[in-house]
Amino acid sequence: MRNDQQERTFRRDPGKLLSSAVMLFYFSAFLLLWLKDFAWQAAALAVAVPAMIWLGVNFLPHLFPADKLLLSLTNFLCALGVLVLYATNPAYAYQQAVYYGVGLVAMVVCIYLVRIIRHWRIPVYLLMPVSLALLALPLIIGRETNGAKNWFYVGSLSVQPSEIVKLSLLLIISHFMSRRKFLPWLIFAVGCLGLLMLQKDLGTALMYYGVTLMLYYASSSNLLLTGIGLAGGAGAAVLGYKMFAHVKRRVAIWQNPWSDYDNAGYQLVQGLMAIASGGLFGVGLGLGSPRTIPVYHTDFIFAVICEQFGVIFGLCVLLMYVAIIWRGATTAMAARTSFHGLLAMGATLMIGLQTFVIIGGVIKLIPLTGVTMPFVSYGGTSLVSSMCLIGLLQGVASLNEDDLNEDTRLAMLGSEEGMR
Amino acid sequence: MKQQRYLFKVLALIMFGLFLLLAVYGGYSIFTYGNRWFSYSRNPRVRAQKENVIAGDILDRNGIVLATTVDGKRTYQADEAARRAVVHLLGDSQGQVSNGVEAFQTRYLYGFEASLSERFNALLSGQPQRGDNVTLTIDSQLCTLIARSFAQHNPGKNGAAVVMNYKTGELMGSISLPNFDPQNITAATLADAGQPFWNRATQSVYPPGSSFKIITTASALQNIPDITTMDILCTGGLSVMNQAIRDYGNAVHEKLTLREAFKKSCNNVYALTAITLGDDALRKTAEDFGFNDNFLFRDLVVENSTYPTENRNQFELATTGIGQSALAATPMHMCMVAAAIANDGVMMEPRLLMNVQSASGSTRTTYQSKVYRTALPAADAATLQSYMREVVKSGTGTRAAVPGLTICGKTGSAESSLAGSDVTYGWFVGYIENPDLPYAVSILVESIEDGEGGGSTAAPVAADVFEYLRALP
Repeated sequence: MRNDQQERTFRRDPGKLLSSAVMLFYFSAFLLLWLKDFAWQAAALAVAVPAMIWLGVNFLPHLFPADKLLLSLTNFLCALGVLVLYATNPAYAYQQAVYYGVGLVAMVVCIYLVRIIRHWRIPVYLLMPVSLALLALPLIIGRETNGAKNWFYVGSLSVQPSEIVKLSLLLIISHFMSRRKFLPWLIFAVGCLGLLMLQKDLGTALMYYGVTLMLYYASSSNLLLTGIGLAGGAGAAVLGYKMFAHVKRRVAIWQNPWSDYDNAGYQLVQGLMAIASGGLFGVGLGLGSPRTIPVYHTDFIFAVICEQFGVIFGLCVLLMYVAIIWRGATTAMAARTSFHGLLAMGATLMIGLQTFVIIGGVIKLIPLTGVTMPFVSYGGTSLVSSMCLIGLLQGVASLNEDDLNEDTRLAMLGSEEGMR
Repeated sequence: MKQQRYLFKVLALIMFGLFLLLAVYGGYSIFTYGNRWFSYSRNPRVRAQKENVIAGDILDRNGIVLATTVDGKRTYQADEAARRAVVHLLGDSQGQVSNGVEAFQTRYLYGFEASLSERFNALLSGQPQRGDNVTLTIDSQLCTLIARSFAQHNPGKNGAAVVMNYKTGELMGSISLPNFDPQNITAATLADAGQPFWNRATQSVYPPGSSFKIITTASALQNIPDITTMDILCTGGLSVMNQAIRDYGNAVHEKLTLREAFKKSCNNVYALTAITLGDDALRKTAEDFGFNDNFLFRDLVVENSTYPTENRNQFELATTGIGQSALAATPMHMCMVAAAIANDGVMMEPRLLMNVQSASGSTRTTYQSKVYRTALPAADAATLQSYMREVVKSGTGTRAAVPGLTICGKTGSAESSLAGSDVTYGWFVGYIENPDLPYAVSILVESIEDGEGGGSTAAPVAADVFEYLRALP
């Protein structure tokens, strides 16, 4: 029995080779940057980042069964954020490295929460008012940046509550949808969307809406109501376009950023120039002029990656997100309860949609909305909440693994009894 | 649960679809627009590189150096008239002219395409890196001649001219007036209301006027049976929706064949032809010739041409047939139209780059000719060739004739309102019918005087160009 379990774990393990390659990649990358000015911070990161990757990919699976490929991918992306930030603005990179560590811890916490809590009724009812209150806070004590009012400060720490509420949204809608209770999640979701609209945080609103609608479709398989929801969303989008001047402005910029290059279109045009400058293989790590792009460290980090590493690497990054979605969907399909399935799928969709919304905005496929690129963009709340999403996913994956082992054990027992 | 699992799979596939869209759209737009984004004059990366790299030379097809770098300063030809004639093609080092060679070939001129070993060698030798040398397809002496001839026949007028090889698409010359001296840009040049930085050959769109009758004819030949043999009546005042369409000098041509109507540029007949064709057929032919297409040529940025799609009533259709309505095309595109007729219906992609060589003399890249599209069947092109031959032999374009050469062409006088006042543009598009001298021209003169037409303003310039081309070795 023991052998069988080991064999299965081994079969699912994409191999230590992958994590070793990832660690070597970051070690040499930071070493390369260290050669530039012999800053001790680069040398420190050359050791610290691979160490965190080792913790995240090789050590964690000793605590509980985990999907190692998923761990490798997320850790690669987190470390990529630290690396690109160090190459453009080291001060951001130190903070991001700390957030990465915090994110790993938060991920473990989330994994344990999913493993331990079997009855979500009480937590969910507690979460609902707390989440709505949290989401309303920026409207009362927040500051406006780039037309959206979605931040507030705790001391010197900036907090974006919509990133935290993302998690409770998933828990709440998965709980009620798995129990076929329609109204509670609908009221909560509409409340969240309303508050996000008031904050003019349209990118996040789009993600919340998309994930909720998709999960509803999966849980109910009711095409008619999903269609109505889709139409309602489209109607709200048109209404938003007509009502809000800043939405109109964004759409106009998207249609032709070059017409107002010096002002409104500046950001998008700089991003496109950066991508084009990189060519297929990039200008090289730490080279180029990525800092000419406004908000290069958050919204436009994908343009920076393309400039430095090239379009082919950019496509590979896309492929990594696709792999995350693939692993996430596989986990969701293997889940034993409807709740866990919805939770895993929701976390996957949340990451996928967020990536699509921001990269699509940067390459001018859709109008730009200011959301972060999961795992990679600078920002504590964003990185930690993305890691928590992976935590929820991993939690479900570990439960699946436990259940699978239990099945095997019972089957073995059964056959032993049969032999007797 | 089973249903839910299946739907999870559907959702995952939707997400994969979205990501595929990202990859395909991103890849496509970088592939098609990447160089345009990169060479945008205000790309800060280029400005940074300009400080460190000695820009490469720009040469014409005969090896004449058009631009070089001496002691860190960009210098041009010694003769001022020669400098001015090619300034719009070349662009200036300050980026006032958009999409000139200086800006659009930044990748080569400023050494962005240098290989790793070249950069390494530059680093070792301690010498600053040198950009690549770019050789153009143009003949700079031809450019000087066009500018001189244009000013001689149309003193003080603005306008543009394009000469290309209709078999290969190579640009032989192109000018835009007014121009400026790149060696001596003053505050007055920058403030000039005549917009000397504007390349009228590729960036300005004009109503093509009667030169568009080439396309109306092409459409008629393809869509109306027996059009070549039928007689059409010109009453001198065709009434469409209570508006009269008149001919030049209020002429009444009586009964005409299409050939005669083309030769005399009869508006009545062409308005009638357009109405007979209908909007869809005429638009289809215009689009075959590249109207409404997004021009994405490899080394030339050309403003798109428009065949109007809105507000199409019978009167608009009738005026489209004679090249008015909201039709708009650049002199470059009209040159391509004439070239397509000359080249038996095949329109070549215009091109400006001959080859690129590294500072050490090895060839970085050479450009090949490419077919842009097939505009019309060869048989119809042959008919149009004979019509255009008539125009220069005994029609409106006789002043483009050069003894000893077979010249074909079409004149045009297009009306438009510019800043509230009516202006007339004079056009001549045409070519030499000779496989050894495969050249097409397009000449545009802005704001010609009353009583003048394309035949008296633009055609004489074309004649000088043909004369020069004949003398080429």
